[in-house]
Amino acid sequence: MHELYLAESILNIVQEYATLQHFSKVNSILLSFGRLSCIESKSLQFAFEVQAKNTSAENASLDFQILPAIIHCFSCEKDLEVETYSAICPKCGGEEVILTGGTEELQILEMDVD
Amino acid sequence: MKVSVVKNVLDANDRIAADNRELFDRNKVYVINLMSSPGAGKTSLVERTIMALRNKYKIGVIEGDIQDTYDADRIAKLNIPVVQINTGGACHIDGNMIREALPTFDLSKTDLLIVENVGNLVCPAEFKIGENVKIMLLSTPEGADKPAKYPLMFQESAALLINKIDLIPYVDFDLKKAKRDALSLHKDLKIFEVSCKTAAGLDAWTSWLTKRIDAFKK
Repeated sequence: MHELYLAESILNIVQEYATLQHFSKVNSILLSFGRLSCIESKSLQFAFEVQAKNTSAENASLDFQILPAIIHCFSCEKDLEVETYSAICPKCGGEEVILTGGTEELQILEMDVD
Repeated sequence: MKVSVVKNVLDANDRIAADNRELFDRNKVYVINLMSSPGAGKTSLVERTIMALRNKYKIGVIEGDIQDTYDADRIAKLNIPVVQINTGGACHIDGNMIREALPTFDLSKTDLLIVENVGNLVCPAEFKIGENVKIMLLSTPEGADKPAKYPLMFQESAALLINKIDLIPYVDFDLKKAKRDALSLHKDLKIFEVSCKTAAGLDAWTSWLTKRIDAFKK
């Protein structure tokens, strides 16, 4: 649901840069976000396609750099990448873990433009 | 041609939230952004908090809902200034909605503004509104798996109130797991076990809040 708002915000930033840097066509946009930040890339892509019609970003592709979810376990002193989050270390079963990566917010990294 | 950007997509909202924050600071208004699933007991907590603190602070409330004024009507009955924001389908409150609601309040005469966000565990965590703290409510019937499923919300909150603690004998809620998972997302998270129905545990919550408000207003 928030993907609609995020897509609109991406377009606003793109328009801002298009005016400042005088480009007329956006070919692709590179975005990044953490795996656990509840952003659905397919929904975002769809919301973006719909809203980008008749703008410089029409038909631009969105590319995603998804940052891994990382936990640190205080028992085995390891940093581990996990698919889904749980407060139990998948390696040693330790219960003292902390999430150190994976909830990074959505960023625009770069655009490819003409 | 490549153009480097490196910008948070929600930057525009963050800027509006910062403007709101400046306005709140100028008027010494402490702002709580209260978040939870639908039905966790946000409005009941707002009512309880008002009853406990109304003699000490001048309180205002902003109620966010997709539609209707049911929650705002409950608060208005307590003779507290309240604005209902109907987000019209949007799943969260953003900085701009708060900005538009503010003219209703006399901020110079407000000590505490409670914003009850739309019931949702995903989106409200991402949108800053200019709050001092985000507070999260989790009710026992929802289950103890929520921190693992919605990590961002727990990471962003300063305090977690586990509500409906009186229902634990009737629902399968693993309190130990909920607390452990939540603390592993945010090690300084303050956790209160409360019941807005019986008032159990609420004194600890209101005295924690009072300390924060007083420190802010100094």
